Parts: sequence; C-alpha cells; structure tokens
Amino acid sequence: MSGRVDGWRWAGRVFLVLILLFTAVPMVWMLLTSIKSQFAAMQYPPQWWPKEPTLQNYTKLLDPTNPVGNDFLRYMWNSFYVSLATTVLGVAVAVPAAYAFSRFRFPGRTFLFFAVLLRNMFPAVVFLMPLFILMRWLGLVGTHGSLILTYLTFGLPLSIWLLKGFYDNIPIQLEQAARIDGATRFQAFLLIVMPLSVPGILATSIFSFIGAWNEYVYAATFLNRQDQLTLPVGIQRFFAEFATDWPGLMAATFLMSVPVVVLFLVLQRYFVRALTEGAVKS
Amino acid sequence: MAKVALENVVKTYGPVTAVGDVSFTVQDGEFVALVGPSGCGKTTTLNLIAGLIPMSGGNIRIGDKLVNDLDPKDRDIAMVFQNYALYPNKTVAKNLAFPLQMRRLSKDEILRKVTETARVLDITHLLERKPRELSGGQQQRVALGRALVRDPRAFLMDEPLSNLDAKLRVQMRTELKRFHQDLKATIIYVTHDQLEAVTMADKMAVMNGGTLQQYDSPKNVFDHPVNTFVASFVGSPAMSLVPLRRVVDGDTVALAGNGWQMPLSPANARKALGAKSDKLILGARHSTIALHDTPHAGTVPGRVYTVEPTGDVTFVQVHVDGAIVIASLAPDVPVRSDTNVWLGFDQTRMHLFDGETQMALTQT
Ligand SMILES: Nc1ncnc2c1ncn2[C@@H]1O[C@H](COP(=O)(O)OP(=O)(O)OP(=O)(O)O)[C@@H](O)[C@H]1O
Ligand SMILES: [Mg+2]
Repeated sequence: MSGRVDGWRWAGRVFLVLILLFTAVPMVWMLLTSIKSQFAAMQYPPQWWPKEPTLQNYTKLLDPTNPVGNDFLRYMWNSFYVSLATTVLGVAVAVPAAYAFSRFRFPGRTFLFFAVLLRNMFPAVVFLMPLFILMRWLGLVGTHGSLILTYLTFGLPLSIWLLKGFYDNIPIQLEQAARIDGATRFQAFLLIVMPLSVPGILATSIFSFIGAWNEYVYAATFLNRQDQLTLPVGIQRFFAEFATDWPGLMAATFLMSVPVVVLFLVLQRYFVRALTEGAVKS
Repeated sequence: MAKVALENVVKTYGPVTAVGDVSFTVQDGEFVALVGPSGCGKTTTLNLIAGLIPMSGGNIRIGDKLVNDLDPKDRDIAMVFQNYALYPNKTVAKNLAFPLQMRRLSKDEILRKVTETARVLDITHLLERKPRELSGGQQQRVALGRALVRDPRAFLMDEPLSNLDAKLRVQMRTELKRFHQDLKATIIYVTHDQLEAVTMADKMAVMNGGTLQQYDSPKNVFDHPVNTFVASFVGSPAMSLVPLRRVVDGDTVALAGNGWQMPLSPANARKALGAKSDKLILGARHSTIALHDTPHAGTVPGRVYTVEPTGDVTFVQVHVDGAIVIASLAPDVPVRSDTNVWLGFDQTRMHLFDGETQMALTQT
C-alpha cells in the first residue's frame, strides 16, 4: 500500500524535475550564451561553459552612446511607457468597476459582468483586423495610444475579475462598521477598503504590466516607425539586421525578462499576504 | 441618548421576508434585549436601525427625528457587530480611535477616551496589537470597546459577549449593566443567552420568523407569554406544553387527556371558555409542578422518562399524554425512570393556550 503511494510520489517528482529542466535549460543557455563572445557562441561543438566570460554584450546594450545601445534603450523606454500607461489607466478603471460588481446589486449586473469576461473567451488575434480598422478610423495607427487602448481592452476584463475576487473577500461589515463610526460611503472605501485591497491592486497591476510588456502581435501590426517600437518587436527587427549576433540577442532577451521576473517575485509575496490577511471571525 | 422607535418596519430580500412589520419603541435610557432563534431577523433589525440596509417599508425614529433616509453616520449610533468587524490593518488602539477621529475629536481627547475604554475592558496590554493577533474573546472586547468609546444616541449590540468564557462573560455583563446605569444609555442588545437578557434588560423583544412576538419586561415575558412560541422559547428549561381537550359539564370546566380529567379553577375555567375550539394547550413551568407517587384529586398521571440531576435541582421528564413535561425536585428525593407518577399543576401559575391560534388565553 505505502509502496504504491511512494511510487506515485517518485513518479511525480521525476515529472516535476523534467518540467523544471524543460523550462530552465533554455534560460540557462540564454544566460550562458549572453556572456560569450560572438566567436565562442558559434563554435561547434559548443562551449558548454564560456571559457572567457564577458559582459561586453550587456555594456553595449546599456550604453546610450553606442548606436545599438541607443536603440535598445529607446525600445525599453517605449515598452515601459506603454506598459505603465496601460497599468495605471487599467487600475484606475478596474478598481471602481470591480468594487461596484462586488458590492452593488444593480439591474443587468450579471449580464454586464459576463459581457466583460466574454472578451477573454477569444484568442487575441481574432480582434487584430477589427481593432486595426477601428484604430485607423480613430487615427491612432502608428501611435502608442493605439497599443495602450488595445492592451486595456485585453487587460481590463481580467483585472476587474481578479479585483472583484479580492473585494468579495473583504467582509462588507468592515465598511458598515466604518460608516457607523462616522465615515461616508466613499471614506469607508478609501480609508478601510483601499488599504486592505493594496495587495490585490498590486497583483492586478503586475499582471497587466507583464501582459503589456510581453505583447508582440499588436505591437508589430500597429507600429511602424523605428523609434516607436516596443521591446518584443524591437529586439526582433534589431537583430534581423545584425542577424549573426547571438550573444547580443541573448543579452537583450535577458534584460527584457528581468522586470518580468522581478515583478513575479513581488507578485508572489503579495499573493501570499493577500491570502493570509485575517479580517473577521469566520 | 435618545429613544428609538420602529413603526411597521419591513425588510424583504426578494421572496424572503427577513423582517415583517415590526413595531416597538425603546425609551430613552432603556436596555432592550432582542432575542429569538437563529435567522429570525435580529441582525437585520439592527442593520435597519443603523441604516446599513434600506428598509422595504415602515418608519424608524431616533429621538423625535425620522431617520428613514439618513446615512448611518448621521444617525449617530454605535454598533457592535456579530462578527466583530475589526479593521484588520489597524492596531487595537487605532481601531478604538477611528470613530473618534471620524468625529474630529482632539488628539488629547482621543487618547484619553481610548485609554479609559481600554482600561474598563481590560485590553490595555493589547493596544498595540493587530486584530489577528488576538483571541476571539479579546477581539470581541475590542469590538465592544469601539462602540463604548463613543457617546452616541443609542447602542446596538449584536451578541457582544457570545465568544467570552463563562467567567469573563459574567464580569462583562456586570460592567455593561453598570455602564448602562451610569450613562443612562439606550441599548438594543441581541443575545442568545436568556440569563443575559433577564439580568440586564429593562425590556425583552422576542422575535420569530421576522415578526415581533412579544415586547415587555423580562418578568412579564416570563410570567405571561403571549403565545406558545414565547412560552417555549423563554426560560430554561422551557415551559412544558401539553395539547389537551376542553370538557364542559354544566358549571365545571375540565382539561381532559387520555382517561383522565383535571377540573379547572374558576379563573382558569373562564380562560378556557375563551378558546375558539375545544383544543387547548396546557403550559407549566417546572417549578409549578408537584410530583406525587400516588394519585390525588386533580392530579394527572404520567410516566417518568428520564431523570437529570443538575446539582441544585433534579429535572424529571415525564410522559403525559404523548407530550413531555419537565418537573423539578429537590436533589434528595428519589425517583426512577419508567415509574408511574402523578403531577399536580399549580392552577394559579399555569398557562392555557388556544390550540388553534397558539395564543395565550387570558381572563376577559
Ligand atoms: N443579504 C441577504 N439576502 C437574502 N437573505 C438575507 C440576507 N440577509 C439576511 N437574510 C435572511 O434574513 C433572515 C434574517 O437574518 P438575520 O441575519 O437577521 O438573522 P439573525 O436573527 O441575526 O440570526 P442569527 O441569530 O443566526 O445571527 C434569514 O432568514 C436570512 O437568511
Ligand atoms: Mg445575527
């Protein structure tokens, strides 16, 4: 009996290790390649461990006086700007919307909520043409505004849905207590509910930031001017010109993934905090 | 402090009537205990008075002011929530200070009041802790403190002592009673503990299924329950109720069971004649029932079901006509299960209810 349980446990472990290798090996290879010289990277058989590790790929990318670095930093800034705008605008809309869905009973509430989620039932590409036509009609093609607007339409439903879950978990009695203690409805929200939903808002923001940061298809379609490109598109075009610079590509990819990884680590912490925050007698 | 008046208050949730047509007035400085089984609408009633949920109908007055459309903050009421509702991200001190801050008291005054309240409730050593670092009983005292720290027009308390241990509960009960007397506070107090209701309250409001059954002093509710629900709900152990028949023979009126009759006193006979039909319910509290081991005139035969010694008294459950009657005996009187006994009901203290309407029969 216990032998069989152990067998399953071991099978599970082996499976997990395989998955781990499957996800980690390419990343490790990316990191290793990024600190090789161009010559070492192309060697066959490959150098498993770089013989002469160098940070030159990174210094080049982060040096604004270098033409390559200049482009890279501009893409990074574009990505950052678009992602941040998406996040800030998204949260500004999602917070009141999620709160309303969570707390108020109004006619059409269920319908509206599912209408909001409906968007997420289709893959993003389905909307590429319609949105492109819409953006052209709005005169936004070729602007960052078109991307921000698009990412908002993708990110908002998820943000609202996530945040509603957080608000649902904040007992309504806390607001009631605050209102009895002399707060207006808005003060109760601001002084009691908001501080409690900070972990939720942070988690939602990070989700929406990462989503915008990584998006490729729309960025590739809506933008055309070289100096407007975001990182995912920029890196690709960039290295199409210098097609052979593998270490440079790997270094750029690594730099692009740093914010994502950092945000995920933060996210994890806040998720745990959000879940362990005890509020009332259960 | 102020009086609180409910007039035909109704609250429905779709098809569910949580509170149906409730009217009562709590006079200025009165302590009212709101009792009733779980789900009967006690919390909903408090929420309506506080203005936390909109009424479906009726009027609520605080003082002489109609408050139907007033925000909770403008009703100036303090409330202790059934589930405490402490602000989880604030320390105990800040929880207590919050209502005072919202009312823009000076820093000194806030500090003074918080310190004083914490002292009374014996939570001074907890002031810097967060609610989640407190035990249930400590949280409950903080919840009480957040209400007592204020000087509102009325207090609403939803089972504020339910989670304390027996000793602390008795102690807090005394404190609350003292507090009520000193401040002449208007208090509406929900409790499951009848002893709390009887010892502290000026009046008791008994609710069932969203409607108010009886609103009177604890003594009157206990001595003169208006219907079988109140009779069986108030008192521990509950009043025994036996469904019987009315037999009228010339001038004498009697209660009849299976093979026995109990002639009624003139006063009780007049009550019995007021019933709509021959179906009557006899009600008696354990202390008004005598047990005999031989039949006497006017006694009722029964068979002992269980004997429950509690120390001070021994409760004896007796089968009478298919119903259970609880009588009490001194602990040294011997009784055994499955023996025949005869019950003597004290006719001056027994109750008669109409078997159709379940309402108490009174002399007319
Ligand atoms: N938001 C709501 N939606 C629908 N029904 C509700 C709602 N709130 C309360 N009810 C119903 O109203 C009735 C009264 O509820 P209430 O909470 O007032 O009971 P209570 O007397 O406080 O019970 P307890 O002693 O268990 O606290 C219950 O039947 C409950 O199911
Ligand atoms: Mg309740």
